[in-house]
Amino acid sequence: MYPIISLSVTGLLTLFLGFSENKKIVFPASIAFLLIALATAFIDWNAPGFYFNDMLQVNNTSIVFWAILIISAILIMGFSEGFERFEFAQPAEYFAIVQFSLVGAIMMVSFKNLIMLFLGIEILSVAMYVLTGADKRNIRGNEAALKYFLMGAFATGILLFGMAMFYGATGTFNIGSGVFIGGDNSFFLWIGCTFMLIGMLFKVAAAPFHLWTPDVYEGAPTIFTAYMSTIVKTAGFVALFKVLSTTFSGLQDFWWIMIAVLVTLSLMIGNIGAVSQNSFKRLMAYSSISHAGFMLLALLGDHENALGSIMFYSVVYTLATISAFGVLMVVSKERIEKGRVYEQNDLFKGLAQNNGFLATVLIIAMLSLAGIPLTGGFWGKFFVFRDAASSGLFWVIIMAVLMSAIAIYYYFKPVLLSMSKKTSLESITINPLAKFIFAITTFGTIVLGIFPWILRSLF
Amino acid sequence: MSLIALIPLFPLIGFLINGLGYKKIPKAIVAPVGIGAALLSFITTVLVYFQFKADGQTIIQPLFDWITVGGLNISFAFQIDQLSIIMLFIITGVGTLIHLYSKGYMSHDEGYGKFFAYLNLFLFSMLLLVMGANYLIMFIGWEGVGLCSYLLIGFWNKRSDFGDAARKAFIMNRVGDLGFLIGIFLIIRQFGTLEYLSVFEQAQGLEMGNISIMFITFCLFIGAMGKSAQIPLFTWLPDAMAGPTPVSALIHAATMVTSGIYMVVRSNVLYTLSPDTLEFIAWIGTLTALLAASIALFQNDIKKVLAYSTVSQLGYMFIGLGVMAYTSGFFHVITHAFFKALLFLGAGSVIHAMSDEQDISKMGGLWSKIKITAATFLIGTIAISGLPPFAGFFSKDEILAHVFEHNKAMWALAMVGSFMTAFYMFRLFFLTFTGKFRGTKEQEDHLHESPSSMTIPLIVLAGLSIVGGFIGFPEIFHLPHALADFLSPLYDGSRAVNPEFGLVHLSHSTEWMLMGFSVLLAAVALGVAWFIYVKKETQPADPSQLGGIKKVLADKYYLDEAYQIAFVKPVEKASQFFYSTIDKKAIDRVVEGTGDLTSLLNRLSTKLQTGSTGFYILVMSIAVAAILILNMGTEIADQFFSIFNAQTK
Repeated sequence: MYPIISLSVTGLLTLFLGFSENKKIVFPASIAFLLIALATAFIDWNAPGFYFNDMLQVNNTSIVFWAILIISAILIMGFSEGFERFEFAQPAEYFAIVQFSLVGAIMMVSFKNLIMLFLGIEILSVAMYVLTGADKRNIRGNEAALKYFLMGAFATGILLFGMAMFYGATGTFNIGSGVFIGGDNSFFLWIGCTFMLIGMLFKVAAAPFHLWTPDVYEGAPTIFTAYMSTIVKTAGFVALFKVLSTTFSGLQDFWWIMIAVLVTLSLMIGNIGAVSQNSFKRLMAYSSISHAGFMLLALLGDHENALGSIMFYSVVYTLATISAFGVLMVVSKERIEKGRVYEQNDLFKGLAQNNGFLATVLIIAMLSLAGIPLTGGFWGKFFVFRDAASSGLFWVIIMAVLMSAIAIYYYFKPVLLSMSKKTSLESITINPLAKFIFAITTFGTIVLGIFPWILRSLF
Repeated sequence: MSLIALIPLFPLIGFLINGLGYKKIPKAIVAPVGIGAALLSFITTVLVYFQFKADGQTIIQPLFDWITVGGLNISFAFQIDQLSIIMLFIITGVGTLIHLYSKGYMSHDEGYGKFFAYLNLFLFSMLLLVMGANYLIMFIGWEGVGLCSYLLIGFWNKRSDFGDAARKAFIMNRVGDLGFLIGIFLIIRQFGTLEYLSVFEQAQGLEMGNISIMFITFCLFIGAMGKSAQIPLFTWLPDAMAGPTPVSALIHAATMVTSGIYMVVRSNVLYTLSPDTLEFIAWIGTLTALLAASIALFQNDIKKVLAYSTVSQLGYMFIGLGVMAYTSGFFHVITHAFFKALLFLGAGSVIHAMSDEQDISKMGGLWSKIKITAATFLIGTIAISGLPPFAGFFSKDEILAHVFEHNKAMWALAMVGSFMTAFYMFRLFFLTFTGKFRGTKEQEDHLHESPSSMTIPLIVLAGLSIVGGFIGFPEIFHLPHALADFLSPLYDGSRAVNPEFGLVHLSHSTEWMLMGFSVLLAAVALGVAWFIYVKKETQPADPSQLGGIKKVLADKYYLDEAYQIAFVKPVEKASQFFYSTIDKKAIDRVVEGTGDLTSLLNRLSTKLQTGSTGFYILVMSIAVAAILILNMGTEIADQFFSIFNAQTK
């Protein structure tokens, strides 16, 4: 609860800082604000309770997710050092929007009332529309932002329609008690359930509501692509879980077949679509679709385990994704073509020879995303497969395993390129902060690959 | 750490130093490290022996829990008892001597460090094999010695035929190893454990002739056939002579090839329970002994003669085991380790003196040139021929006496083999050391006695070949049979399951008669060899000149050719078929097809990605509609009809 207040206030403060002469202060101040928010998150540790007329529910589980979201944001924002050098950039605005968007994400993981869920999703989404177009002079960025906004608005409409139907059927927005089929209103309830799920599945980029993903990921500045694929996804999945495990848990017979079909579709479209991508960001976009499929698998299983699996999966996916996009940001700024940074896969050609550190970071990230043992990604997949197996959905698991095999192919493309002899790059400069972040993400990936229980046993 | 664990640890450290530091460690350090590792291991063995002797109880030294799967728990533990302590003495003792010998023998070789590293690795594996407290550790050692054997046979890897010999040894051993492995699995299935103590304890509760024990013992024996070169898996051993001579002495005569006998003696309870397997072993041993001895008659390569002799002697050991005379078989392992190592090292010394010549038709009259080698070689020859009072006489005679009691026909065949043994060994000795020199002038000028690092092991082994047999006097001499008394506790299990075990029914007069007969035969063979090769100075014939049965023998019964046709060719044909048809046409098609299918689907799925927002929203709407129909098609229809019905009313 406190981070919501803290982030709202510091967001405003950040906007004011933007007026100051010394723009260099904005970056360290923003990081400090995020750290403050992180600290305030733990005020409620071991003090579960409800806030704002039972609108928000706070417990240790939600605090863990707050921490994950805020730490992810700090790690990603770490790459924006030196942002103020670009004359057209307005760092204060971006940092402020990031802080506001976190408010939305935090609402999404601790809502108790569907109004709060809607509010959270919208705060986060609107912030993301703006951040996607942050590079104002980039026509593709603008196109992506508009596309994202139009489609997002459409999805919002569906979500809101679903909520309205749900209210009509049950007379409440509160998700505290489960709802059951039966009676005259069940038709509305079904429509409400379906539409709400569709609206949220759009946000986490599950197929067939994924079409915006490749275009938006590619068009957005890399730093916000990383933001989108980690924070939005984590918050979205927790929200989905909360809805499915509480108010819709009685409707499991109704929605599981739909989720199972969407899992299969997401895995197929994500993995098969990634195969031919030359742009690293598009590749990561398809990868993000396929990971949405894997995380949905956990929702099909037993609810006791599912949240832990989603949490573990989000963390390892976030770590690997930050590594991958971080390397892309660091390397791509060395190669400008036609006034734009070069973001194709072959950017990484000869990286191992040029800069062994970055290559190691990239390779470990790719191995983790592909789910190779001794990286966290392996256990992430293992846990969701185990959850799905507990529900007996073996055909979905077989599909998922087959698709993981395809994933090896495209995740290894950058790896192989980085190992090749020829390099097209001059020496690459990495600032110490970025190096530090890489160390954290890479080390975390390995540690979670060897000792998964240190995180998995949290709940 | 306990003393016991140090025994294999020293060679392992030696291997790591010489192996990792290969080409970096100066030559002056390589040999002391290698020899030192073996020597320290030997000294530790002596210490452990005293520790063991203090109360005579089997010592189990667990190091760590290794594999725990379900109810199966396999620990990494060593077992010190009567059997393993003797094997330890042989391995570390003879091993040390041969390491010392290698210092001189290999001194001009560029792979000096590599050689010592491999030798140490071999010692380590062999020690694991005999010290393990369960079948799995034995199997690690079993595979480890196989690997070292492969590496050392192909040590001079610049010659491709040596590489072929190494591969042949490895592949034939793999065939045996498969049997051994199946045996291990059967043991797990039958007993639920691999630890010797608990397997043998459980086995004592079983009936003789138990069918699953028969399968277990049979499968284990297949492993022994490969490792100890018995019919049909023996043809690799003569080819293994491609390796350096110390290797032939250590691995292919004294230690590794006897591990099959060790395994049978170790599992004596199981074998006693299965008389059918024992009978099979005895006959395989008899046939191998005869076949190999007859091939050895007309070989001209000094090492090949010794190699076939080894195969034949291993056959005798298995005959002993097959007639349930485990001690006698094992006794022969001990004496054979002494005199065969001596003969091989002597042959190495001859080869060294002859500037790497191995063909005895080019030798002759070496007695005066290399006296120490010649004298020690003579001792070895007498010992293997079974003339008293040298080591071979005691052990071989004991086996033959037990065979006589068991089966007269088998005894007769064994005697024929024994006669041939004495004949070909003296033929070898006379052709090498007496008569005129038949080599080139250059070789004659180069003739020289070997350095002391090579002659000292020869002298020590010669001494052991003379007195080695005294640990087991026959009963009729009224002297103690020290070995039998020492090993006796090993057979408690066998005695428990078979009341007949260990009882001898031979009368003393029969025994005297048998002994006299076998000495007489050996003496006759010596005389015949002397008459042909010294008196008449018959020259060894070129194998291509031979005719009739001699040619068949010299060409080893065409067994290699037969194996070529029976096994190698069909396998090659089959592998061609699998490669060109199954792999290229079927499996590759499937694999490539998967890739093609994936890229086809990829093209289809990326077609959705038009970039047009309107199209995207259309797709989304269709998807929403599809989901609605999927989820509640029937409900929608019901609703529709109910509204329709309401209006028409």
